Amino acid sequence: MKIINCPLNGPRNAQEFVHGGEFVAMPDPHRSSDAEWSSFVFLENNTAGVVREWWCHVPTAYWFIAERDTIKDEFIRTYDPSEVFRERVEFAKPPAQGS
Amino acid sequence: MAARLPEPFGSLIDRSKPITFSFEDHAIQGYEGDTIASALLANDVRVISRSFKYHRPRGPMTMAGQDGNTLVQIGPEPNRLADRVAIKQGLAVKGLNYWGSLEHDRFAWLGKLDRFMPVGFYYKAFYKPRALWPFWEAMIRRVAGLGKVDLHAHHGYFDKEYLFCDVLVVGGGPAGLEAALKASESADDVVLVDENASLGGSLNYARFDGAGERAAVERARLIAALGARSNIRVMTDTICNGAYSDNWFPLVRGNRLYKLRARCAILATGSYEQPLTFRNNDLPGVMMGSAAQRLIRLYGVKPGQRAVVVGANEDAYGVALDLLDAGVEVACLADLRADPPSGRLSDALTRKRVPVLAGTTVYEAEPSADGRGVRAARTAKVTAAGEAAAKGDSFACDLIAVSTGYAPTSPLISQAGGTFGYDDASAMLALRALPAGVLAAGSVSGAYALDAAIEEGRHAGWRALREQGKEAGLEPSLSSAKGARGISWPYPIFAHPKGKNFVDFDEDIQVKDLEHAMLEGYEHVELLKRFTTNGMGPSQGRASSMPAVRLAARTLNRTIDETGTTTSRPPVTQVKIGHLAGRSFEPVRYTAMHFRHVEAGAKMMAAGLWLRPEFYGDAARRAALISDEARNVRENVGLIDVSTLGGLDVRGPDAAEFLNRMYTFAYAKQPVGRSRYVLMTDQSGVITDDGVACRFHDDRFYVTATTSGVDAVYRSMLWYNAQWRLKVDITNVTAAYAGVNVAGPNARKVLEKLCTDADLSKEAFPYMGVREATVAGIPALLLRVGFVGELGYEVHVPASRGEALWDAMMEAGREFGIRPFGVEAQRVLRLEKGHIIISQDTDGLTTPWEADMAWAIAKSKPFFVGMRSLEIQAKQKLSRKLVGFEITDRTQAVPKECHLVIRGSEITGRVTSIADSASLGKIIGMAYVALDQAEPGTVIEIRADGGRMVKATVVKMPFYDPDSARQEL
Amino acid sequence: MALNPSTLPARSFLYRELQKFGAVFGEVNGYASAMTVGADAAAEAAQARSLGLCDLSALKRIGFKGWATAEWLTSQGVTLEDAPNRVYPQGDGARVARLSKGEFVVLGDLEGRSTLPDRLGGAWSMASANGCFRVPREDASAWLTLTGAEGGAMFAKVCGVDLRPHKFPNNGIAQTSLARMNAIIMRADRGNTLAYDLVFDLASAVYLWGALLDAMAEFGGKPVGLDAIKALG
Repeated sequence: MKIINCPLNGPRNAQEFVHGGEFVAMPDPHRSSDAEWSSFVFLENNTAGVVREWWCHVPTAYWFIAERDTIKDEFIRTYDPSEVFRERVEFAKPPAQGS
Repeated sequence: MAARLPEPFGSLIDRSKPITFSFEDHAIQGYEGDTIASALLANDVRVISRSFKYHRPRGPMTMAGQDGNTLVQIGPEPNRLADRVAIKQGLAVKGLNYWGSLEHDRFAWLGKLDRFMPVGFYYKAFYKPRALWPFWEAMIRRVAGLGKVDLHAHHGYFDKEYLFCDVLVVGGGPAGLEAALKASESADDVVLVDENASLGGSLNYARFDGAGERAAVERARLIAALGARSNIRVMTDTICNGAYSDNWFPLVRGNRLYKLRARCAILATGSYEQPLTFRNNDLPGVMMGSAAQRLIRLYGVKPGQRAVVVGANEDAYGVALDLLDAGVEVACLADLRADPPSGRLSDALTRKRVPVLAGTTVYEAEPSADGRGVRAARTAKVTAAGEAAAKGDSFACDLIAVSTGYAPTSPLISQAGGTFGYDDASAMLALRALPAGVLAAGSVSGAYALDAAIEEGRHAGWRALREQGKEAGLEPSLSSAKGARGISWPYPIFAHPKGKNFVDFDEDIQVKDLEHAMLEGYEHVELLKRFTTNGMGPSQGRASSMPAVRLAARTLNRTIDETGTTTSRPPVTQVKIGHLAGRSFEPVRYTAMHFRHVEAGAKMMAAGLWLRPEFYGDAARRAALISDEARNVRENVGLIDVSTLGGLDVRGPDAAEFLNRMYTFAYAKQPVGRSRYVLMTDQSGVITDDGVACRFHDDRFYVTATTSGVDAVYRSMLWYNAQWRLKVDITNVTAAYAGVNVAGPNARKVLEKLCTDADLSKEAFPYMGVREATVAGIPALLLRVGFVGELGYEVHVPASRGEALWDAMMEAGREFGIRPFGVEAQRVLRLEKGHIIISQDTDGLTTPWEADMAWAIAKSKPFFVGMRSLEIQAKQKLSRKLVGFEITDRTQAVPKECHLVIRGSEITGRVTSIADSASLGKIIGMAYVALDQAEPGTVIEIRADGGRMVKATVVKMPFYDPDSARQEL
Repeated sequence: MALNPSTLPARSFLYRELQKFGAVFGEVNGYASAMTVGADAAAEAAQARSLGLCDLSALKRIGFKGWATAEWLTSQGVTLEDAPNRVYPQGDGARVARLSKGEFVVLGDLEGRSTLPDRLGGAWSMASANGCFRVPREDASAWLTLTGAEGGAMFAKVCGVDLRPHKFPNNGIAQTSLARMNAIIMRADRGNTLAYDLVFDLASAVYLWGALLDAMAEFGGKPVGLDAIKALG
């Protein structure tokens, strides 16, 4: 069984984690086309090589980001999401709707 | 015991402790320390099993658990290795693969039919006509198969344990012992694993010098040093059964599976002695030289009366010397080498006047009259690689000992990611590369000479320490000659034209079978293996893999490396289902009132990990009890345990904003003291959960979630806020609160008796209101909700007070006839009110549009999860819709959940919920139907059990109290 | 003066399990707590030194969580450092377990001398929260202590993290899976005796109690009462 180095809890058996999918930025929901949005929701890149992924350490419900080589099946780096998400995310009102 | 030798032979047995067991119902006597195989051979029992295909008699070949010939049945357990299992008093052992008796197998005639049973025989011969296959299958299963499974066998106590160490050493031979000793100088913990009962490996049985003294001296030195190290955990009789990612190793000992994680692993797994292929090389009495030595040294068993040794290395001379020491007459030593070099052992043998036939092989083992042993060995001059002269001398003997080469015990290293390649100079596979954190030492990495193995072990120990930063300085050099050259014969296959030249003993694969397969085009080694089944039997190709590769390389005119070897995968050897199952941990969660339900006679059901009361009372009266429980809620008052409901505390200045983003409804303007429905969709717009959000403070919402969904909802909330960075804290408080729902026309009266600090009147505490109050002296959250459609209050209290709350509610309700009700009654009641249950009435594709829940979607919010997808779906035509239906004609069959809604030849939907409603006097349910069937009044057809078509009418929901007057009392 | 646990409103989920072992209960913080399990105090103390399991669910504890929690606790006089997964002993016998940057559990002492859990509970309010929120640990979590020299070996049967004393220091925390349930495991030696505090989902208490006793049987482990734990010092 693989070991995953959790940024909060240190190296642990892979059994303690769940995979949260590829790390993909969400397109602007109001500006993206239907096709762009569908692609974001339904398609995965499934890259052979180094990918960024979400992982969660289940006993602590702690989410982090991992860089993993899918060819070598090796974790390269894991880190807290605050390294990427530094500021509060705001959503604009949908254009030409509501009032 | 005719064949037992005096001391000092038999280092493992204790002659003062005789043990009697049975083999084939005959009493057999051995000593403590004997294996089944050694005890049988000591009693001149040479046939232990019959072969898989031809039912040929077979005996031990390796005495090291490396061949499948020794598989026996022990009581209910099939396929145990007789040369590995220690005897115990009363053990009942049976042979395998015979019909009748082992001695007189009624299927032994199959061996005479081998020319009619080439490889691929089963695929081809019985394929047509197809109709006859069941007959042949039954026949083949009866004839073949390994052992008998006792379906009534008692399940033993198996369990598992984790182990951790700085350095794992697999293999307790000279290299492994040295490695462990060196590593233990500064590693915190070293685990040393060996599959044998006694450490020392080849030092226990092999001969390294003419006098035969050195092995014992070295072993004593190493074992003494080991005894002084408290940080080495020695695990003998332990099999390391595979190598997995990041140095994760399963170790099997007794009834326990250890899951070991090592920072560094030193694999000193040694080597297998390899067989020589000649006619009848599978007869009992033909065995490895090392097997004969093991019998003599470990068990004090004389392996024969008169032996022929066939060799291609110095070790063969050691075998001959050992046989002489044990009083076995050695007829001759046939040495494949045309000009054997002189050495300490060969010089010693020459002095004993044993004839040595240079450039000679054994070409044929001549069977004894009864066919169950060897009568003589026919030798022949080696004329070319793999070829021998037609005629040669015959030597009467009952033992043929083979010492013509070795192969590294590579599986663990290969599974760990190491690679081997063929080395022409030594005619053996040689280690080419190792992954990080894995080291090798001893003969597995080519150090066959004792001095080299010891030196390499010490070196590996040093490197293991250096990898962990516990050893620095100059790396010690390796100076001893490794001794890998000149010990393995490059082409140890002398196929006699008359056949019976076995390559794979498990599967009865002969040289000609492999040749035929290649003629049919199965040239790739992986295909060759699978078509012939060579190497697929219990011994996993330990003896047959290399000969097959050599044969293929020669036939196809390729090098060994070009031909390639087959892939090694775990497990290394047999594994019991009990070890995999182990001690099963099946977590279960109890609510605070669990034992009160049990005491009240509840039938408990699983809801995720929780147990919940399904209904209360005798299962024989199930339907009536559920109906009574429901009626008591409608007409009086009932109490249900809702502790399993998920609970999430969402707190902080952004709490309302966060809920706005997570749920479809709007929460910014929700007043304190009120609850509001929550519906969650995922980014694709599919419904994933629901509940209510109770606002107890501007900055605090207590949000409920479904029992089975709360963990995923919680995780999903944390995931989104890891990105959004809102000022909000989310805590899963599911287990912190015990909860009940007291429901029915008399609910207020019951609660008023216990709650004195809140006004429960309709005006002060209306439907959908929430309050903090004290109930029975316990601080509580009160929620006026209407899941079952009657006046009702959910009371949530700290879990430690849950049982006390239940007791107080039951006591207060006694005068009103309060009764507990279970999950089944609640399902009927909520169905009457048309409330959906997420994941019962919805599936992995249900959108709010399909579930008719457009009312729960806030349209003017900037964003919520799933919003964009729902906008896109709103523009598309629905393919189905969730509707209510009723069946009033009681003469029809009653459909069940998941029965299909069918129109003509088209499936238009399925039933998601159905119940016989006592309050309404009819069958009611929910179903998905086609959009044009969704209008109330439409008649749909449902296919019930037995294919009976049932007519139902689509109706508007809710079925019961459509104005909700009752729940808002 | 045997106390019947079901006469008190606050009840450990384990009182029925302890009754099976003949526990004698006393009142602690409004709970019925098993003071002794078995008749011989000396034997029970010896049991605690080799391998014992004790229900501490009656003891004071309180949880706090949120982005400003460390600051608030510090302002209340709690001594903390930055490293998570560490227990920070306070002067008065209380211990503060830092589970992450923003999540803490405050554990009272065996004798009930420390006033910290009550003091923090009294000082906190939703109005003053501002990034520090209360977590109902006393009602969400069961609290057991596993004591004795065999503890490290026993854990290997139920936990995939190396908890042996030479690899898992005193006051270390492992938040991991214990017999397939999530649990917080804290090394909390008592006197000279190796000990681990286990804090986990209250609803799984009966299950985990059984799983631990089953794993302990091989080492002769048994339930012990609060008095035996106090005797460890």
